[in-house]
Amino acid sequence: MNILLKSGKVYDPKNKIFGKKKDIFVTDGMITSKEKIKGKIDSIIDCTDKIVMPGAIDLHTHIGGGKVNIARLMLEEFHTDNEGKYDSSNIIAPTTIKTGLKYIEMGYTSCFEPALLPINARQAHSEMSDIPFIDKGGYALLGNDDFFLDLIKKNSSQSMINDYVAFILNASQSLGIKVVNPGGINAFKFNQRALDVDEKSKYYDITPRKIISVLTRAIYDLGIPHPLHVHCSNLGIPGNFLSTIETIKAAGGLPMHVTHIQFHSYGNNGDKKFSSASVEIANILNNTDNLTCDVGQIMFGQTVTMSGDSMSQHKNHKHAHPHKWMCMDIECDAGCGVVPFKYRDNIYVNAMQWVIGLEIFLLANDPWKIFLTTDHPNGGPFTSYPHLIKLLMNKTFRDDILAQLPPDVQKHSVLKSIKREYTLNEIAIMTRSAPAEILGLYKKGNFSFGSDADITIYDTKINDIEEMFAHPSMVLKNGTVVVKDGKIKEYLWGKTHTVKPDYDESIQKTLSKYFEKNHTMSLENYQISNQEMIDHIGSKVETTDCKYSRKQ
Amino acid sequence: MTKTSCKIVCPFCSLLCDDVTVSLDNNRFEVKNKNLSLCKKKIEFFNLDKNNRLTPTINNKTSSLRETISTTEKILKKSGDITIINHGVDMAGVRSMLRLASRYDCTIDHVNSKYLYNNIGLVQRTGYMATSLTEVKNRADVIIIFGNDIFKKSPRLVERISSGKSSLGFFKGKRKIILVGNFDANATKVARKIGLVVNLKTDIDMIPKILSQLMQRNDNSTFKLSKSLREIHNIVTKSTYLVASWSASDFNKSSNSERIINSISEFIVERNINYRAACFPIAGNLGDSTSSQVCTWMTGFPSRIKSYGNTFKHDRYLCDSELIQNNKTTDTVVHFSTLSDQKIKLNKSLKNIVLGHPKSKLSCIPDVFIPVGVPGIDYEGIMFRTDNVVSLPLKKIRDVALPTIDDIVREIT
Repeated sequence: MNILLKSGKVYDPKNKIFGKKKDIFVTDGMITSKEKIKGKIDSIIDCTDKIVMPGAIDLHTHIGGGKVNIARLMLEEFHTDNEGKYDSSNIIAPTTIKTGLKYIEMGYTSCFEPALLPINARQAHSEMSDIPFIDKGGYALLGNDDFFLDLIKKNSSQSMINDYVAFILNASQSLGIKVVNPGGINAFKFNQRALDVDEKSKYYDITPRKIISVLTRAIYDLGIPHPLHVHCSNLGIPGNFLSTIETIKAAGGLPMHVTHIQFHSYGNNGDKKFSSASVEIANILNNTDNLTCDVGQIMFGQTVTMSGDSMSQHKNHKHAHPHKWMCMDIECDAGCGVVPFKYRDNIYVNAMQWVIGLEIFLLANDPWKIFLTTDHPNGGPFTSYPHLIKLLMNKTFRDDILAQLPPDVQKHSVLKSIKREYTLNEIAIMTRSAPAEILGLYKKGNFSFGSDADITIYDTKINDIEEMFAHPSMVLKNGTVVVKDGKIKEYLWGKTHTVKPDYDESIQKTLSKYFEKNHTMSLENYQISNQEMIDHIGSKVETTDCKYSRKQ
Repeated sequence: MTKTSCKIVCPFCSLLCDDVTVSLDNNRFEVKNKNLSLCKKKIEFFNLDKNNRLTPTINNKTSSLRETISTTEKILKKSGDITIINHGVDMAGVRSMLRLASRYDCTIDHVNSKYLYNNIGLVQRTGYMATSLTEVKNRADVIIIFGNDIFKKSPRLVERISSGKSSLGFFKGKRKIILVGNFDANATKVARKIGLVVNLKTDIDMIPKILSQLMQRNDNSTFKLSKSLREIHNIVTKSTYLVASWSASDFNKSSNSERIINSISEFIVERNINYRAACFPIAGNLGDSTSSQVCTWMTGFPSRIKSYGNTFKHDRYLCDSELIQNNKTTDTVVHFSTLSDQKIKLNKSLKNIVLGHPKSKLSCIPDVFIPVGVPGIDYEGIMFRTDNVVSLPLKKIRDVALPTIDDIVREIT
């Protein structure tokens, strides 16, 4: 099947193409050149007056796994509308089918679950396999599991830790490693209620700084493309920007991705003891090599927060709206907490959270280092991305909303003074090229020859930028038109992206004994094979190469 | 197949034990683990003999698979209102069920829904503090078990949470087990294997009052407790990680099972203000967790749903299969049964289609019977454990030419 996308205004930042009128050729689901097309063009798509971008990528969205399903179950009353196949839920805790439908309708073609518990990986992948259209993947959670903490406590070699990290990536079919509240979730099981970056956990006598340092080193040594994905200590606590900066320093200059940084950029100044530290955080982002972040912008309205950070979620449960919540200790591996929440624009703290997220976006110099997320659904549902893009691209629109917030908010914010408006180039970078690059997905987020033909086409005749990004006129997944004029044309099922670094297999013997003694399942049944992914879980696997051979 | 042995994941109870060794000889299997009499009986029940239903039937007459599928399709197309009842299937079976329901606009219910909703209701009303099996094994120094029958429903529960010398060493001293309800002497004997036991015999409807008294004592040191409650209070207040466990079906004889479960959850939530504690409910043994998980991620609802065109709606009462059958608001019932050793009650006045394992016990002759394999015996699959966080891969150990539920549903849809 040969397709020509003719005369579109193309944005392909990786190839330094910014709004240039251009033809794009697709053959058998991949981008190709005119010269390499064999036979006739089967379909010509007229892209005159259209913007053509690679399919968008959400690198941090909670779309599958135990906590997501707890939220769906808990919020039965939210499942009320009647759209879509298999679907009766709204967008706050959407079903798998609705998740796929809503993403593809917005032109998102790859999405990544950031909190995949290795012990719960089979469920997370099974759920994600039931999400249509999009490619997906997950980051395995480490840093709170008892085996790992015991390795550190025993002063095990970095090489052995690297073996363990590599094993987990293979066994859980993950694309990266994430650490949530390093050591804090585990400490909560021993009844510690807080753990600062240089505070030792009572049982293991280990600091979060040490965990960050060991894990960033492991990711670097193994050549895993995606840097350690870090949910810092002290989420949501006034004054936490200092521990965020210390967490960043703990990486010692090695690559690190700080996630939902908005929730970690709070000062404690002013009469309300809650202020913005966006300037300090943007400053460190702008001046630290190898550091990237996603924002986790909050949006006003009802949502549900879900996190592996059971320590923080238990602390927050009194704010639950509606008033119900759940926390769980999980398998000496991790934890989770689900707390529904409503962000209100008339509440000072919520309004400041909205401001802080936008300030970070606008003060960050380099769009290759900052990614557009709401930490779906924690800050708001992913369906609010078009609105967020408009906030970034239109100062007047932004200022109009700011003017409606409590007067104190404007006094404590630099937002009004920021003149910057994001350009389409920058939006294309932060939603396409940059996330693809930071995940090591070299066939995504660009129109290089050989890349996947995941393509979103927007209509420039739509004047409202929010409306334009909400409703692309056409979306192609692997070269197949799946959305046209807002209507689903064909159901497709994406693949799961993984990375599989080498490891010394002797770690399996150690782990096998550990599982036999302490766990309630065997190591053999803990591991997920490629065959199981295809035959039973329901997804093909695509493995991304490591950046280089393992260093130690 | 030649004589051999292997470990299986046992799909016949919600603990999904993966350390069960079976020997295999000409497609017959025998559990080799010692002291697993209840589990052994349950697993070996699925051995086949010549009297089993290995061929499809239409009105009890042997038929070809093709003909049976064609008859099934005709019945479904003619039906005004179809109900699917899940008597226990694996993950692929639930996915198939949803596909079938979507195709023919069916109602779906699980045979254990009324018990399932005791626990699910807790999540939907208030939520709770939860834990999982490995955490209980390694961390729980005090376990309170409520009800009367949990050890019969999950025969290996005590063994699975028994840590002995093999725990991670998070707590020192001997574990303490508190039984609250109508536990018999045998239950005390079983529980004693893992710790010191206190057995508080009481009517299950008294549980909320007992827990309320324990909490009042926490708030007010002069509040007087009976001797047995004082002993429990002393144990609980010294715990570092307290776990409360129950099997929801134990409370069904109560006039208010929701109130009992709420009171346990409130007790645990309060304990977490200053200490650590968690709930560990035990689910049913007919793939209840698997069904509820898959239905929830695909429809937003755990059970009792009805397909309307492209959407599913949920009604706990209108989609109650027992009520639907009794009131005859359905004309055709499709039974999915791959795990049950219990008799399946068919309503003679309705059309009955059974996709069941060859040893299915049925109360009357169905219109159509299609024999299917057993997940974890005849084909590979995935099921969810009682804690809803661990799912395990099921193996194929027997070589019998039986289709899977999914194979049949693909033909029908």
